[in-house]
Amino acid sequence: MILFEVFLNGLLLGGTYGLIALGLNLQYGVARILNLSYGEFFMGGAFTAFFTIMLWKFNPLLSLFISMPIAFAINWLIYQFLMIPLVRRAPDQDVLDADVVLVTFGLFFVFQGLALVNWSGDLRGYSFLSTGVPLFGATVALNRVLAFFGACAIAFALFLLLRYTRFGTALRAITIDPVAASLVGVDVRKFSALAFAGGGALAAASGMLVSTFISFSSTIGVEYTLKALIVVIMAGVGRVTGTLAAGLLLGVVESLGGYLIDPGLTIAINFGLFMLILLLRPTGLFTRA
Amino acid sequence: MDRRTFVKGSAALVGAATLPTVHAQAQAAPTKLRFGYAITLSGPLAPGADSTTVSNYKLWNKVVNDAGGIMLKKFNKKVPVEMVAYDDQGKPDELLKLVERLIQQDKVDMVLSPYATHMNLAAAPIVNKAEYPVIMTTATTNKTYDLGPRWPYAFWNISQPIESTEPLAKALAELKKQGKIKGRCATVHPAIEYGVEMNKAFLDEAKKAGLEVVTTKTYPFGSSDLQPVIREVMATNPDAFLAFSYPPDTFMLTEQAQIVGFNPQLMYVAIGGVFPSYKGKFGNKVNGILAYGGADPAAPGMAEYAKAHKALLNRDYEAGGVQVYAALQFTQQAIEQVGEIDRKKIRGVMGGSTFKTIWGDMRFVKQLNANPWSVSQWQNGELVAIAPTNKPGAKPLQFPKPAWS
Repeated sequence: MILFEVFLNGLLLGGTYGLIALGLNLQYGVARILNLSYGEFFMGGAFTAFFTIMLWKFNPLLSLFISMPIAFAINWLIYQFLMIPLVRRAPDQDVLDADVVLVTFGLFFVFQGLALVNWSGDLRGYSFLSTGVPLFGATVALNRVLAFFGACAIAFALFLLLRYTRFGTALRAITIDPVAASLVGVDVRKFSALAFAGGGALAAASGMLVSTFISFSSTIGVEYTLKALIVVIMAGVGRVTGTLAAGLLLGVVESLGGYLIDPGLTIAINFGLFMLILLLRPTGLFTRA
Repeated sequence: MDRRTFVKGSAALVGAATLPTVHAQAQAAPTKLRFGYAITLSGPLAPGADSTTVSNYKLWNKVVNDAGGIMLKKFNKKVPVEMVAYDDQGKPDELLKLVERLIQQDKVDMVLSPYATHMNLAAAPIVNKAEYPVIMTTATTNKTYDLGPRWPYAFWNISQPIESTEPLAKALAELKKQGKIKGRCATVHPAIEYGVEMNKAFLDEAKKAGLEVVTTKTYPFGSSDLQPVIREVMATNPDAFLAFSYPPDTFMLTEQAQIVGFNPQLMYVAIGGVFPSYKGKFGNKVNGILAYGGADPAAPGMAEYAKAHKALLNRDYEAGGVQVYAALQFTQQAIEQVGEIDRKKIRGVMGGSTFKTIWGDMRFVKQLNANPWSVSQWQNGELVAIAPTNKPGAKPLQFPKPAWS
């Protein structure tokens, strides 16, 4: 029975991993920007949720109405005014990647610094839906269940958007080949900016959902950028449902490995799996070869 | 080179003790005293450094300057304090460079402690070599027990592993004697030095006290899910659950123990259990939980401290940081007793005198704080100190911990 509970919790944890990575995959997959300041918007979402419940005494879910638009706007501006000049002057994707990494790394310090000045470095946390609920005889935390279903809902919505709308088709075209997409009349710059901004908004949403069951501070962003990056690379760039699946795989393997072998090995198991996938399928689990 | 640096440099070279009268005439009172520190202002350790240490440096600096400064009786003058701060980015090698710089280039009058055990340990030999007396405020490690004779200029302020875990074992043994518990303990800790040493110290003390440790579980620092660990502990049905944890896992263990309905009669969490945000998150569910360190909120001076802290930093004080403020009060009184910046004499006073601070009467024996607060407990929504039990202000242990409601 405990084994089943461990499996369930691994699934929930994996959903969280997928959730964190969805926005980054949108930014990296469509807009082709590897955004190292991604986690800062996660952090911003977590703080907005914290202030919403602790200071203003509202349901932290309502904070999504504040943090997501703000993150969307800031990311849109970042793309338009910081990334576009880089995209224009870069002769190829490799040069662009290097420039982008440097600039977004700088942005990461700017955002973290601003957060430290305004909100100090204190560890924060709040209680929201932190009750156990029985599920098939096991006990799971309600706030983790919420984050899991949040992840599934966002992934499903993204999937529908990409698969069945004109806008989504354009995004997929850009993912596959931006030059060809522009030749057939897709406004690459406009759509990339929207995808990048949307990725930022998803970062804020995931920060809100995850903040219900973790403690966090102004400096937590980079940790989640790294986690997201691992999932994105495992899944394959630009794969939405694959991202969720890779996250789930990571969570379940981590939990079961930790329980069956030794909890001290969870991080080693994570990275072992990551390396294995890099070796066997360097383009990601869910990309067609 | 300005006049003051020249005088100070020559004083250091010749040795103030050899020609006291000549120098007394040559020296004018300094216009300010410069206190320098290198500490982690960025990176994963920055939040802890800010909340425990830096905030108290800033607060003390303001309080002491509002009162006119530090009294140097040699010049019969109060001299204000100026802080010189650097970011060591959490890297020991960076810290060493910066501490050297504070001493050699900036020629600060006093050096203050960096943050975290390994950083305190890294800085100690440097300040010792330069003969700068420093109270290291955030080091808990068995190593401090034999470092006293080796580094006479380094002082260690907080409760070390043995002093931190012995009161726990004793309290549990007493409860066992009274027949209230069977004496079954379960411990967990992250795989970092602090957790390992605290756990080892507790296992030794538990053995001496005749307690049974039914399980010990290790987990990696930064785990995202500790529910399986708690499940395994629960399966052994212990009376006491002791987590020698760090802030993120302290919070996570507490939350997940509630989720699975794990209700040990006694629960201990180490670092982070005394944070105001811990109470902020869990509300009155913190009642009965024991934690590492702490302070006596009713001690003389604490009310003013709490008020000044709130006014300057716009947040409640952290009990784990009270000792940092106390270390500065102690240092200030040692300087005032000497009456000038003569670090050899200041070291002498610090090594043998007792001074009143907001952390109680402070005294160092073999450079270790003789009576630091080691264990505290949340009682009726307030954090109180409960060990050492013979220290004035210690409250009795409340047992058992109420079940999560």
